[in-house]
Amino acid sequence: MQLNTRRSARVTVMDISGEIDLASSPQLRTALLREIKELKTPRVVLNLNAVSYIDSSGVASLIEGLKASRDAGARFALFGLSTTVREVMQLSKLVKIFEIYDNEDQAIAE
Amino acid sequence: MLCVVRAALGQLAELVGLSPEEIRSMVLAVDEAMTNVMRHAYHGRIDQPIEIDFRRGQLSDNGVLRDALEIVLADKGVRVKAEELRSRALDDVRPGGLGLHFIRESMDSVRFRHQRGKNRLQLVKFLKQPEAREEPRGGAECN
Repeated sequence: MQLNTRRSARVTVMDISGEIDLASSPQLRTALLREIKELKTPRVVLNLNAVSYIDSSGVASLIEGLKASRDAGARFALFGLSTTVREVMQLSKLVKIFEIYDNEDQAIAE
Repeated sequence: MLCVVRAALGQLAELVGLSPEEIRSMVLAVDEAMTNVMRHAYHGRIDQPIEIDFRRGQLSDNGVLRDALEIVLADKGVRVKAEELRSRALDDVRPGGLGLHFIRESMDSVRFRHQRGKNRLQLVKFLKQPEAREEPRGGAECN
């Protein structure tokens, strides 16, 4: 998994690519919690367009990010879900609890 | 190593004619099963052996024999009780516990037993019957 972070005044966009699995999900979890809890970024947006695989540990990391953002009063959104990611999110019945957008412009819009 | 197994499984599943969606779903199920073995049977150790047997054959589907893909994972880790393999309720939004749900949703049959000192998880995916098509005249061509 590769993770690239772009920060602006009030929004952080994380571009994630590759496979999110048991080996790489701790890296995603750490990055998300740092961004939300330590840096107190008011809005964290994840670009999942180039994610080729995600398993339950990856989904668990996303849930942790969502919960941490709710606790911190921040916003947490996903966009550009690849077919694989969308299928897994649908399987987990979690599509409705996340803010999910088609593209970055929609995800970062106020 | 999980990614290596996922890639190999994907290729095998393609050979037996699963659709791309079925392949993704089956690969996810096996990946989650391996992850569970590492986490629970081997207590987080990732250097322990997991046998994966991948077989195409005919299996009973409610008494009717059907073409199927059978995947059996075996490990020598801590004995797991079948009753411990329960999916959790999904309305409780929290991290963890999704793996078993993914496995059950992705496969047609999931059976667990402990036999001869090994945990054995049998996953079955029934194959769709190929649509009947007219044979070309003059026999099959080989290019």
